[in-house]
Amino acid sequence: MVTRLFFLHALGASAREWDRVIEELEDVGECVALDLPGFGGSADADLDVAGLVDWLAGQVAARQPQNWAVVGHSMGGKVATLAAARARDGDPAFAGLAAVVLLAASPPAPEPMAEERRAEMIGWFDDGHISADEAATFVDANTATPLPEPLRSQATGDVERSGRLAWKGWLERGSREDWQRAAGTLSVPALIVAGSEDGDLGEQAQRRLNLPHYRDARVEVVAGAAHLLPYEQPAAVAALIREHVLPAFGRALPAPFAALLASDRVSRRTRAVIMERHAAPPPGNVLSPEQRAVLAALVETVLPGGADPVDLAGRIDAMLTSGIGDGWRSADLPADAEAWTSGLDTLDRLAGGFADQTSADRDQLLHAVNDASRSADGAMFDAGQMRLWFAEARAEIARQWMALPATMARIGYDGFAVGGDGPRKQGYRRTAADTIEDWQTLETPS
Amino acid sequence: MSGAADTVDVVIVGSGAGGAPLAARLAKAGLSVVVLEAGRAFRPDDHVPDELAADIYWMEERLSGGTDATAFGANNSGMGVGGSTLHWGAFCPRPDPRDLRLRSESGQGEDWPIAHDELIAYVDAVERVIGVSGPELYPWDQARRYELPPVARNAPADAMARGCAALGIAATDAPAALVSRDRVQPHWGERRACINCGTCHQGCRTGAKATTDTSWLPLAVAHGAEVRSECRVVDIERDGSGRVTGVVYVRHGERRRQACRALFLCAGGVETPRLLLNLDLANSSGQVGRNFMAHVATQVWGRFDADMRMNRGYPSSLITEDLMRAAGVDHAGGYLIQSLGVMPVTLATNLARGAGLWGQALVDLLDDYNRLGGIGINGECLPSDDNRLTLADETDAFGLRKARIDFSYGPNERAIDGHARRTMTAIWEAAGARDIFAVDRSAHTIGTCRMGSDGDRAVVDADGRSFDIDNLFICDNSVFPSALAANPALTIMALSLRTADRFLATRG
Ligand SMILES: Cc1cc2nc3c(=O)[nH]c(=O)nc-3n(C[C@H](O)[C@H](O)[C@H](O)COP(=O)(O)OP(=O)(O)OC[C@H]3O[C@@H](n4cnc5c(N)ncnc54)[C@H](O)[C@@H]3O)c2cc1C
Ligand code: SF4
Repeated sequence: MVTRLFFLHALGASAREWDRVIEELEDVGECVALDLPGFGGSADADLDVAGLVDWLAGQVAARQPQNWAVVGHSMGGKVATLAAARARDGDPAFAGLAAVVLLAASPPAPEPMAEERRAEMIGWFDDGHISADEAATFVDANTATPLPEPLRSQATGDVERSGRLAWKGWLERGSREDWQRAAGTLSVPALIVAGSEDGDLGEQAQRRLNLPHYRDARVEVVAGAAHLLPYEQPAAVAALIREHVLPAFGRALPAPFAALLASDRVSRRTRAVIMERHAAPPPGNVLSPEQRAVLAALVETVLPGGADPVDLAGRIDAMLTSGIGDGWRSADLPADAEAWTSGLDTLDRLAGGFADQTSADRDQLLHAVNDASRSADGAMFDAGQMRLWFAEARAEIARQWMALPATMARIGYDGFAVGGDGPRKQGYRRTAADTIEDWQTLETPS
Repeated sequence: MSGAADTVDVVIVGSGAGGAPLAARLAKAGLSVVVLEAGRAFRPDDHVPDELAADIYWMEERLSGGTDATAFGANNSGMGVGGSTLHWGAFCPRPDPRDLRLRSESGQGEDWPIAHDELIAYVDAVERVIGVSGPELYPWDQARRYELPPVARNAPADAMARGCAALGIAATDAPAALVSRDRVQPHWGERRACINCGTCHQGCRTGAKATTDTSWLPLAVAHGAEVRSECRVVDIERDGSGRVTGVVYVRHGERRRQACRALFLCAGGVETPRLLLNLDLANSSGQVGRNFMAHVATQVWGRFDADMRMNRGYPSSLITEDLMRAAGVDHAGGYLIQSLGVMPVTLATNLARGAGLWGQALVDLLDDYNRLGGIGINGECLPSDDNRLTLADETDAFGLRKARIDFSYGPNERAIDGHARRTMTAIWEAAGARDIFAVDRSAHTIGTCRMGSDGDRAVVDADGRSFDIDNLFICDNSVFPSALAANPALTIMALSLRTADRFLATRG
């Protein structure tokens, strides 16, 4: 499995700003710190935000990670979020994105910035280049306390060698572009970090402008830092990245599955729905914590050793919360949300605490429920209703589990990879038993 | 309410198997035709080979009761320009002459008010338009010819062929409404040859499979018909004498009106009767909603030593009609057997619900997905007074009461189910399957507005015309007087052409 972290620096910085962060992360994955076009000595370029995202697509695709995270600082944060949006929409270049980290990140919305400050910074190029004094003003204004040497010189040196097109392009246009609609809502897990001493892009701005785009996000504030977090608090930043990225990498789909999903045998739309489903479900609010625990225990009994019980219970709660069911229900049961809460409560009552029982006892009880031979006084559902609800519940549990990409990978199912977006869809050339095509590399459990 | 002031000759509600062929034929005859379809329009490329993401099903809630409550949603009804043909399996056996005369033959069920020869002429016309692939020689009908060679068999089909051969049961490549070679569809474009992707039920992305949106509807539009998507018909307007004057429909939240001289309801076996019952129309016989039928669709499954990967290939590539009238049986009618290719989510749901499985047994079977193989039937279902569609007290987003469908097998369905289990188990044993088990299932939404010659016992006459309202017609799965063992869509399309011809012949 090729696991990589891509680092995108801030305006006027370079790949070097990550040096001390990366030192601490080498065991997490291969760290790729990039120079954005026009910075760090790379060729100057006049790219708008879409152009920057395209550039990143090229960088990522060239390294073909199967499991990767993007860490974006300030200006790089806007690019990171929009890359995540393209991953969500099925762009093959960004397939396999597992986590996003934003540091004092510029949001998809126009970045809050005082106009005089913007004008001043644009003006630095009036004489052709940014002077040492101007660079020092910039770096010092963005740190809580002046950086120690040689870091301060490194940082100011990077500002000085910023390309004019890249610098002005960002300030005049890129930072002002409004990408809120394209960003939409993202399910990829995000860590949003703010420096406690930052100004325009501090915690408030992060909560207001970046957080709403991420369904599964956490905001962290790093003390003793303003805007240049990787320089100011590299250890704290690295620890946060590690803590966020490791579990996300741990949930990655197996490498052959990830590679197949990224291939041209899969349409964008298919890739998008599969990745979306692989992410954590949106929060549900139909079930109480107790009902969720009973449901998790039910999942464990219906699919032992199969589904992750807590995850699947969350998915069913999300399904109930969305109100989108499977198109029908038993006429003897109430609407889905009520049926599930009543069914779970009744099950808990029949068991005298379903979640606390051994799996053998739970299984035995389910057999009795299935025979309609168990009822409890005062329970919401009678024996007949419990029988019907249990049929519905186990079908829904099986349905949700089977639809997960991780389950497809587990059983060696490649039926989603039957045609990309080209005019000729690939399909299968072989259909007879015990024949297989070269591209079919997913393993079947033995 | 906004409305088109123009009165059109014909409004057709629903663009599936029942609505689309007649739209084409009426438009071709020079009538002004508007098709109103509740669902969206798709291009083949829009479909997604994923069972949960496919968005071509009618997912609004229906209530299902009875001892053999039938599943709705993705199991049996479509929504979209193309109706259920968007996700149908394209398995298209022809109706058997004996099935049309089941009552005369067995004293049970109903006879159809249409002669088989006449119906088959229309079936033939349908097949020529949509393109059907099939075997060179059809063992049960020597004269039959198919335009295109059969599609590739998949692993379950090979297993079924093996099992049938061992038992002396004739089996052959199934007639399938798909093109096994590239073929130009007039007024639409090139339909690409089937690529064996196996995702017919999620929508065909190559245009190989026959759907009405790539065949009949473009033909209709070429002759001036208008197909309006995302238009939900919620009301039918009448004049003082009770004749239909137009419909009211909702498009993106806005109510609109379309005036018409004649109305064809082709909204399917559930929505057509539901609309009529909600509006209390065309029901002097009391037959609307009655005699709901669903084919007995029992499946038998087993594990194979071989790597089957049944999701590959056109799903139902083998058929036998040998059980249409088996010797020495105690049931009326019969059944067809087909090989199956079932996608994982549908399989998991069927195993959990229809086979009553959970626990380690379920996990082990699903883990073995690539080694499983199944066969299934489509079996006769007799009309019964107990099986009916009524209105629930709950209403939908448009204020119309939801449908409640009660369905229980009678003795004949149980007998067919039992016979089929034994037959299919024997075939599967002979094919080398292990750990064989059956899954209970029923399929299709048939009946509920049946046709007949007696206005006291039927909702429409043989021409699809309401006995109560002379400019109201029904043409979809709901007019079937009996289920027929053959899967329904080909017959529905044939009836649709006939209904159009009869309308043209009898209109003043
Ligand atoms: C998974 C599956 C597989 C199948 N496989 C086969 C097969 O292999 N062979 C076969 O012969 N048959 C098969 N069928 C059945 C076949 O598809 C249907 O029998 C057939 O399409 C029914 O035609 P219809 O005209 O009655 O209804 P439909 O084709 O369902 O058309 C009804 C249309 O009316 C629209 N509608 C409903 N209410 C309204 C309203 N109020 N306003 C506007 N529009 C409305 C609906 O959106 C729909 O598009 C299958 C069905 C399913 C679900
Ligand atoms: S198997 Fe053939 S007919 Fe079915 S969806 Fe695939 S290409 Fe279309």
